Amino acid sequence: MMLSLFKWMGELEFSKALGASVWQFALVQAVHLVFLAVFAGAVLIVDLRLMGRALTDRPVSQVARDAQPWLIGGFIGLLLTGVPQMMQNAMREYYSIFFWIKMGFMALALIFTFTLRRQVTLAATGGTGVTFQTKVVGLVSILLWAMVAIPARLIGLFS
Amino acid sequence: MLMLIKSVFEWVNEFPSSIAIRESIYVYPAILTVHIVGMCVFAGLVIMMDLRLLGIGNNSTSISQIQRRLFPWQMVGMSISAISGLVLVYTQPMRFYPNVFFWIKTVMMLVAGANVLAFHYGAYRTVADWDTKVKTPLGARVSGIVSIVLWALVIMSGRLIAYNWFQ
Repeated sequence: MMLSLFKWMGELEFSKALGASVWQFALVQAVHLVFLAVFAGAVLIVDLRLMGRALTDRPVSQVARDAQPWLIGGFIGLLLTGVPQMMQNAMREYYSIFFWIKMGFMALALIFTFTLRRQVTLAATGGTGVTFQTKVVGLVSILLWAMVAIPARLIGLFS
Repeated sequence: MLMLIKSVFEWVNEFPSSIAIRESIYVYPAILTVHIVGMCVFAGLVIMMDLRLLGIGNNSTSISQIQRRLFPWQMVGMSISAISGLVLVYTQPMRFYPNVFFWIKTVMMLVAGANVLAFHYGAYRTVADWDTKVKTPLGARVSGIVSIVLWALVIMSGRLIAYNWFQ
């Protein structure tokens, strides 16, 4: 079923058109990295705050609210530039273990970010709001998103 | 000058350690991956600072606080990407030397560095007057947008080094 889906994606006119132009594909790859930086910044600024390593004079909830548009905007940018790359290289992605590791961690990271992390960041806490729980949430968030970015880089190198 | 740079690249290209890493299947991809992680930390937090300068992000935090508290992490990211980047060049100097995107990236990094200095010795000196304001002085906003554009160009040209166009 998954194989059929990937074969179908690879056969679409859009996928072929993107692959036909090396320039076009390379630029999409390059812009993808710029969105990655925006997204990473929005993740890190909140996670560092959760861990008490930056911006501790502002409430966690405030830092998280400020970063949210860039977190979501960065992720949308990553999707808009990532999905076409996946479609153009559908069969290479399907047979790459790193692609599936990336997807698995992305699912975990998304669930974590929009459930537990969101709940912890938006919870009203006194003082600097840094507790053992917030430190763990910040660290887990960084590790999960790193585990999305690292295999992503390896897809193209080992396929 | 160009001949001197080329000679240095050719000289490094023959180092046994450069050849060893170049011929290794796993070391080069590992260093490249570390380079990307460092880039995410550095450029990501620089962009967060730039958004604040432009008044379009992180506006509830004062500029001096963002600058002071993110700076050590930006330096961590920069160190990781700079060291891993130098190792990447060290391992394949003759692949980088004729690559136009490598030189675009290098020049953009130097210009971005000059922009940081211009900001610190220019607009930032009066930060006490506009530290908590959303609308920052023109100099700060110009510095913010220039920084975002330059670092985006650094990232993009870095990715395009993989393509040997114009060689």
